[in-house]
Amino acid sequence: MSDDELIDEERLEYEERRTGLTRAQLLARGVGLAAVGALGGRAEAALGALEAKPKRGGRLTWALEQDPVHIAPFGQTLTSGHWGKEFIYDSLVEWDRNLNQRPALAESWKVVNNKTVDFTLKRGIKFHNGKEVTAADAKYSFDLQAAPPPPGTVATLSQFPAIDKTEVLSKYRLRIHLKKPDASLFGYLAWSRYSPIVPQGMYDQLNPAREGIGTGPFKLVRYTPNDAVELVRNPNFWRKGQPYLDALTLKVLTDEQARVAALRAGAIDGATLSPDAARQFVGQRGFKVLKNYTAAFRELQLTLKDPSKPWIDGRVRRAVNHAINRQEMINKVYGGNGAYSGHVPPGYGPWPLSQKELRTKYEKFDLALARRLMAAAGHQRGFPVKLTTFSTPPDFAALASVLKEQLKRINIDVDIEAQEPGTFGARNSAGSFEWDLTARGMRGDVIGYTNEFNPSNAIYGRWFGDYKNKLMWRRVGALQVTLDQKKRLPIAKALEKQLLDSVLIEIPLIAVQKFQVVRTRVHNMYVAFSDFNTGLRYAWVD
Amino acid sequence: MHQFLIRRLSLLVPTLLGMTLIVFLMVRLLPGNIVDIITAGDTSLTDEQRKQIEDQYGLSGSLAHQYWGWLKDAAQGDFGTSLRNTTPVSEMLVDALPITLELVFLGLLIAVVVGVPLGVVSAVRRDKGSDYVSRVAGLVGVSIPSFWLATLLLLFTSRVFHWVPQFAYVSPLDDPWENLKQFFMPALSISVFTMAIVMRMTRATMLEVLNLDYIRTARAKGLPRRRVIFRHALRNALIPVVTIVGFEVGVLMSGAAIIEIIFGLPGVGWNLLQAIFNRDYPLVQATAVLLATTFILFNLIVDVLYSKLDPRITLE
Repeated sequence: MSDDELIDEERLEYEERRTGLTRAQLLARGVGLAAVGALGGRAEAALGALEAKPKRGGRLTWALEQDPVHIAPFGQTLTSGHWGKEFIYDSLVEWDRNLNQRPALAESWKVVNNKTVDFTLKRGIKFHNGKEVTAADAKYSFDLQAAPPPPGTVATLSQFPAIDKTEVLSKYRLRIHLKKPDASLFGYLAWSRYSPIVPQGMYDQLNPAREGIGTGPFKLVRYTPNDAVELVRNPNFWRKGQPYLDALTLKVLTDEQARVAALRAGAIDGATLSPDAARQFVGQRGFKVLKNYTAAFRELQLTLKDPSKPWIDGRVRRAVNHAINRQEMINKVYGGNGAYSGHVPPGYGPWPLSQKELRTKYEKFDLALARRLMAAAGHQRGFPVKLTTFSTPPDFAALASVLKEQLKRINIDVDIEAQEPGTFGARNSAGSFEWDLTARGMRGDVIGYTNEFNPSNAIYGRWFGDYKNKLMWRRVGALQVTLDQKKRLPIAKALEKQLLDSVLIEIPLIAVQKFQVVRTRVHNMYVAFSDFNTGLRYAWVD
Repeated sequence: MHQFLIRRLSLLVPTLLGMTLIVFLMVRLLPGNIVDIITAGDTSLTDEQRKQIEDQYGLSGSLAHQYWGWLKDAAQGDFGTSLRNTTPVSEMLVDALPITLELVFLGLLIAVVVGVPLGVVSAVRRDKGSDYVSRVAGLVGVSIPSFWLATLLLLFTSRVFHWVPQFAYVSPLDDPWENLKQFFMPALSISVFTMAIVMRMTRATMLEVLNLDYIRTARAKGLPRRRVIFRHALRNALIPVVTIVGFEVGVLMSGAAIIEIIFGLPGVGWNLLQAIFNRDYPLVQATAVLLATTFILFNLIVDVLYSKLDPRITLE
């Protein structure tokens, strides 16, 4: 299969999972044609026809599982922080529903050379205070992204691309100068998490922790910590006809049963719930259960610093990979709601390997092969290993137990230690573990899933010690510096295959689904892959 | 009395000093700090960036230097700012404290108003049906976890009445009725355990007191039964109950965290729990000082109340 066919295949699989339509139905609607971007666009248009015509007006109350803490646009590390601010601000670029990049505040962009990109802004876009968006505002925003003032933190700079400086070429044209070629720029902008555009001087005019002026579909009325973020429609939103809602309230309800109770009582219109809690609403009148994959796939991380450990031998790592029955994990821990995951999780645009490839080759469950590999490595008697994981949420412990059971079949004796998240984070960063069972998160660019394989990365030495693989390094480097997204795709695929075939210094496991329950009055809402509540931008109510 | 109060209040300072030092060390001895929390899973973080973040959060320098810096500021009323959102910690606690105090107060009120009469009835009607019912209720009360009861109440009202209390805090000054509706279920959840203890303690001490000579004398003199029980017996029986209630204030204040989370009430307990998970050191330390001070002051009030309840007890 060519790369385009592979992409096509993966896209069809993704759309089947997401929409519930059959392959024949999708193909009949024009979904399933090759080419990155064009495919996503067609799918978007085709599937848009399935929704009813939206109604304007009405209010919607959505429950947040965590308090945003603050809603400052820059230097916000918490995902919940972005939940609080995502409707107030926009970036130059955005993702569509299928994670295809498309213009947002920028009308277009041009790669001048491998270290220079020019952005042309759309004209006539207004901030919530009526001021027009110009390149000067964009420059101001990029300067603050590079040095986030409090309450933001410089911790977000690890995600910041290699931007050297920005230059205002004209009222609507901005030039970004990179210190070195960095293809993560576009993904960073599309992610929007760290790259909002705000009016020049905003930080001098208000308290950004509690107030904000952006271009987003909703204007901020009030943010009350540990309580709610109250928003009203932006009548001058640059996407004509949107938003549909008059008002949106984001209510903080950290306890899941409180969210369940509030849904039943009609106090809120929607919330994120665990699979078990969401299951209560399946088939219940007045509710819809939405689900989708997210970027938080589960992964087994190994450290290779100690040369005496058996898994230094690549055959042992391959044995572990093929001894793991991922479908059994999906069935036992997630009630069948899951998918195989490579280093790039399924649903992350065109980048991940297909389910077929993962199931039949790279992550194929093959106990006989695993045993042969262990014997070839001289470890047929197995060995003990300590596996650390999170004490909460509870699925990590369940997953660890299933893993323990499975690896016993090749005589690996797994000793599970559940740790409080702060402790886990500290030890993980320091490389003070043997094996970790963890979850990855959303990344703006695909390079975010392979950063740790870059030997210049601080974490490489802490985790992998003296492990050398020049081909892997070359591919990671090429992925970083190739700005053309079409040219990057085959590099990414080749790297992913290599990582799963012969490297396996991390062993991805499964992608899990996120569940959101909404009342039937809510339409057009979807579970965003990014773990934000992006669907609320386009939602409407009866 | 004055000397007693002065002596007890003067002990507050060294007690708090010792407590702040213990809390300061304990929370910093937990593996990981806020930098690990906010950068967890970020494989692209360099060592220089990590150092920069630690400097930004004031986590550089020796522990002694950090403690001394915090103590100096705290002595002047500045408990620092939250590492998470840079809000002054005292501002956060000023918002949180009334919520927790109201919850604890209402919880104790329910516990005492229900528990004491039940205990009296149980003692007076010993070995009768009402006694057995009260004792079983007491046993159930101490066995039920408050968070379980809270969740059950929420799910019950949402299912049966399609109603839940408002999840945004309403001050009693703004809308007393709405405030009461909001706090009833949380207060009930938090009160059940204390109610059961109060009931059992009241019953036990009433049984003891009702057998004393002076009660027999009061009956022999022909005093009405109600007067014997409530005027003469209950007053003495209440002394240990007052001890329990005083002790429970501290327990409830810290134990209210889960109830606050379930009902969306951002009180002191909730803030403390979040601060520990997030390694928000200034908030942990300030909250610990607040809880300890409250606990000590409430116990002082209890001791003073003793002397009022029982003239035989002198404050020494």
